[in-house]
Amino acid sequence: MRENREPNPMRLAAALFALPVFVLQAQDSAGVEFFETKIRPVLAAKCYACHSAKAKSPVGGLALDEKSATQRVIGNGKLLRAMKYADPNLQMPPGGKLPDAVLADFAKWIELGAPDPRTDAPAVSAKPAGPDFAKGRKWWAFQSLREAAASKSAWAKRKHDGFVFDALQRAGLPPSPEADRRTLIRRVALNVTGIAPTFAETEAFVNDGAPDAYEKLLEGLLASERYGERWGRYWLDVARYGEDNPTSEATNPGYQFAWRYRDWVIETLNRDLPYDRFVKMQLAADQLPGFQRADLRALGYVGAAPVYHKDHRLSRDVIETLASDDWDERVDAVSRGVLGLTVACARCHDHKFDPISTKDYYAMAGVFASVMPARLPLKAPPDAETERKQAYAQTRSFYLNYLVRLMKGEPETVLDPEKKSAGFKEELARIKREYSAEVTGEVAHAVIDAGLWIDGSVADLTQLDYRVGQPRDLPVFKSGNPANPGDIVPRRFLTVLERGEPLPFTRGSGRLELAEKLFSETAAPLAARVMVNRVWGWHFGKPLVGTPSDFGTQGEAPTHPELLDDLAARFVANGWSLKWLHREILLSAAYRQASKPRADGREKDPTNKWLWRMNPRRLDFEAWRDSLLADSGALDETRGGPSIEIDSPTAVRRSVYAKVSRGRLNPLLKLYDFPDPNQHAPNRELTTTPLQQLFVMNSPVAEAQADRLAQRAVASSSDERQRVRFLYRAALARDPNGREVDLGLSYLERAGWSEYVQALLGSSEFTFWP
Amino acid sequence: MNRRAFVQSLCAGLGTVGLRGALHGATPHFAPRAKHLIVLFMTGGPSQMDLFDPKPALMKYAGQRPASVDLRTERVTGGLLPSPFAFKKHGRNSVEVSELLPRLAGVIDEVCVLRSVYTFNPTHTPARSLIHSGNISAVRPSIGAWISYGLGTENQNLPGFVVLSGGASGLWRSGFLPAEHQGTQIARVEPVPDKMVRYLRNARLDAEAQRRQIDLMQAMNRGHNEEFGGDEFLDGRIQAMETAFRMQFAASDAFELKQEPDAVREEYGSTQFGQQCLLARRCVERGVRSVFIYYGNGQPWDDHQKIEKNLRGRCPDMDQASAALIADLKRRGLLDETLIVWGGEFGRTPVSESGDGRDHNPYGFTMWMAGGGVRGGMAYGATDEFGFKAVENRVSVHDLHATILHQMGLDHEKLTYRYAGRDFRLTDVHGEVVKAVLA
Repeated sequence: MRENREPNPMRLAAALFALPVFVLQAQDSAGVEFFETKIRPVLAAKCYACHSAKAKSPVGGLALDEKSATQRVIGNGKLLRAMKYADPNLQMPPGGKLPDAVLADFAKWIELGAPDPRTDAPAVSAKPAGPDFAKGRKWWAFQSLREAAASKSAWAKRKHDGFVFDALQRAGLPPSPEADRRTLIRRVALNVTGIAPTFAETEAFVNDGAPDAYEKLLEGLLASERYGERWGRYWLDVARYGEDNPTSEATNPGYQFAWRYRDWVIETLNRDLPYDRFVKMQLAADQLPGFQRADLRALGYVGAAPVYHKDHRLSRDVIETLASDDWDERVDAVSRGVLGLTVACARCHDHKFDPISTKDYYAMAGVFASVMPARLPLKAPPDAETERKQAYAQTRSFYLNYLVRLMKGEPETVLDPEKKSAGFKEELARIKREYSAEVTGEVAHAVIDAGLWIDGSVADLTQLDYRVGQPRDLPVFKSGNPANPGDIVPRRFLTVLERGEPLPFTRGSGRLELAEKLFSETAAPLAARVMVNRVWGWHFGKPLVGTPSDFGTQGEAPTHPELLDDLAARFVANGWSLKWLHREILLSAAYRQASKPRADGREKDPTNKWLWRMNPRRLDFEAWRDSLLADSGALDETRGGPSIEIDSPTAVRRSVYAKVSRGRLNPLLKLYDFPDPNQHAPNRELTTTPLQQLFVMNSPVAEAQADRLAQRAVASSSDERQRVRFLYRAALARDPNGREVDLGLSYLERAGWSEYVQALLGSSEFTFWP
Repeated sequence: MNRRAFVQSLCAGLGTVGLRGALHGATPHFAPRAKHLIVLFMTGGPSQMDLFDPKPALMKYAGQRPASVDLRTERVTGGLLPSPFAFKKHGRNSVEVSELLPRLAGVIDEVCVLRSVYTFNPTHTPARSLIHSGNISAVRPSIGAWISYGLGTENQNLPGFVVLSGGASGLWRSGFLPAEHQGTQIARVEPVPDKMVRYLRNARLDAEAQRRQIDLMQAMNRGHNEEFGGDEFLDGRIQAMETAFRMQFAASDAFELKQEPDAVREEYGSTQFGQQCLLARRCVERGVRSVFIYYGNGQPWDDHQKIEKNLRGRCPDMDQASAALIADLKRRGLLDETLIVWGGEFGRTPVSESGDGRDHNPYGFTMWMAGGGVRGGMAYGATDEFGFKAVENRVSVHDLHATILHQMGLDHEKLTYRYAGRDFRLTDVHGEVVKAVLA
């Protein structure tokens, strides 16, 4: 944010300094001497460090050791304005304002016509401003995908095991042996379905002598509807799913039906819809071939995205800043989420490290400035035109009602609230007459194509001006400041992911074109690498690229580049099927390794970069709670529908159905590292805190499940040893050993069954994911 | 054996091993002046012209609207509205304070009044976000989370960042910082501590029975860890379990206000804000790094109307408790190492709204600091003749953040966190430490 702008005397001054005046006066010797004694030393001492043509890339493309560049910033008034610290966004030199005497010298020098005996450094001034896209396109993550030959070994079970094996060989480490069957079924069931296997399932697998026992197990898990609930939640982290807004005020109320998007994600993953189509639908389901009304739910990705409150009494600049924050959020969610690129870094200046220009940024932001959130009916309206009109009428009525309320209690001074209010009411009545059909029945939070302009024409009341069917190309907001607009940029895709100059989008907002571009021949390799890396990370607990949402030059390099490329190439060749990808990863020898520590591994590769074992983990919140409910027998596996309050002891549905609030995230979710749903989350931080243990030790939720399981144990047998065995089977899917039975029985001499069960459910083994 | 000794015996021999991540080798960048921060947040935006920044010119030009006050604010405003309150000079340096705040006037020699703070947004939510996180969008980590991340906590048995607020809000979020740094909210100061921290107390087991339960769990945990071959998470969890056990008693002790003598409780006052201030002192005494107190629910200081009546009603308990906090910390020798910061998300306009109220004003307003190595008995900076805009020794919200971090031993340019492809700072690319106010 910036301060309100003040009248700028330099604008006027700049106009007076038309260039010819300069040239005439420039070279008188007294002036040159003034330059040499008063000006050049300051430029050299205070400016050249950043603004020199000798630098590799002068900051802001400005070289103050060049005459022409210096003249340019004198002419447009920027030099003095920056030095005077008049503009909070442009204060130079950044270390502190120079003494008034120096500023007076510069003013005098400019008055003299800025005499300057220097010349330009020709080589550098010829250098084009902005990122070098040709060079940028050579970055590894943008290269086309190629399958690679992998070495064969007795250990390998799937192709990519060859790459893992070779890397281990180079590190001088052997792989670990295959995990025992108990560990394996717990691991893979949690990965695929998010619920620990029962004792019976575990025993069946342990005793299955068939050579393809593991394959059969995996197929069964992938076919389970629990799969979509597990993997839907992973995607919802990426998609920053939430059911309201950061503040949920008058202009940004909550999304009552956001859960329909969540259900669409779950159902769609269960159907194994190709990943590229899965993403495209979330941007443009309604514009894709084969569209059905129920697909509108997919648009919740944009239609229920976070928006900030816009108090319409604020100035146009403030409102436009808030709107541009909304667009920025979409750019960030799509670019980091799908492409692993930090495009939002280019909002204020060209990306400092990656080949992304501010023009690229605003070209993409324009797509989101051209859509309007709307509740669309899942039952088809008469025709598309009616639908658009209804959507507009809905949004417009919402704002008019808000404005009418806003006018109440306003002082009757400049505003003339009565008159304005009357106008709004009139329009409301007209809309009601013309579009009497209000949207009824089931609705989804979707979008329609309508550009958003910020209308500041009426004093004291800034308005949102949505224009249906009219997209908005944004100007580059210099330094991210909407009050400082530069050239208009047509909506289009990122230059670096196109072969040449990108062509403008032409269809509506361009969201379908953007969706297609994310999977174009030049972008698909990146999108595939990013998703393969995420899936790998969710299976192994650690991705191949350690920064899953940053595949740019500031991100980490892949530990196994050939593996990533080869797997991504085959993922695309296999129709972007996520279930194919799961099979490939979960059937591999690398995944099936034991996770126990080994002295040689700890010494040579303490972070397990080379995968000499499987990474042991703790359960994430959802898998932990769902397994707890499943083991106690309380789990209600009803699928879909409105959300539940997750911390209620009576809530017994799966955790993916938890209500996710952006403004008031449930404290239980916060306690267990649930990512902030206000923005895209690349991964979760898994912490182990005392407050989490208080929940395990003392919460009604933990007590309720302990009570339930304890009752079942007591009912199962009158023999205490049998009950202990029953409980080990229910909670940990195994039989206790003699020592464990004794431990339990001696504890039970002075405690009740509920307390004992709570200890079992609270044990590390229960929450461990080996 | 009394209860405390008994609890100590249960916890004996376990040591006080740090948790993974809780300290993460965090050390100050330089010797800190303050170890603790207490923020007294006056939600809604208190009026500087009526409390700390006297403007006689308001009387002279009452009702007029000179060009210099034509700054855009949220609502439509009228002419200049004089303060109905008298100001007097107090303390060794004759700092002027409103008659509404007699007790703060009495400790003014400990207080540094910043009269020239400014921020960048005239609406509550973004402005509050700015003053907590340096950014208008409500997603960045709060300063309390930054401090927890930068310094860790001194007491492993209590949360490092405590928030005393009746409201629900993301203002104490950890944002992209690890979740352990988020503020732990206590919605209401209650006579019974376990009403204050969720799941603090086991409803079924007494301490001894619970110790037996945890011993059983830990025996299973150690057996499991050994059988697995040793694992960091499993080690960490065993420690976290012990800490949680101790926290039940540490928090109960810290939060039990009835341990305080009546005289002390009365000094703070029996209001919610008074009790919050007292609780804050007990927290910092026990090594809690930051305590943020939010005065009242909603935005009580948002005086768009009837400002005189409202301030007369609201100031006495704020004045009493704030002054008591300063005096009490001083008596205990804790004021030097505790930085207190008072203020709202912005101030109010010198021009009237609705005739008897004032609109939001981000251009210039007053905050104050006390203790923690800032100079007392000082008024720093100035607003224009009417109190609208900071004109002299201006202190931006980023400067304020830089200064707070500096007193805590953190360099605001070095306290960074890598996220989404770049290093983030609380102060982004702004901020200058206000050296002139440092002792």
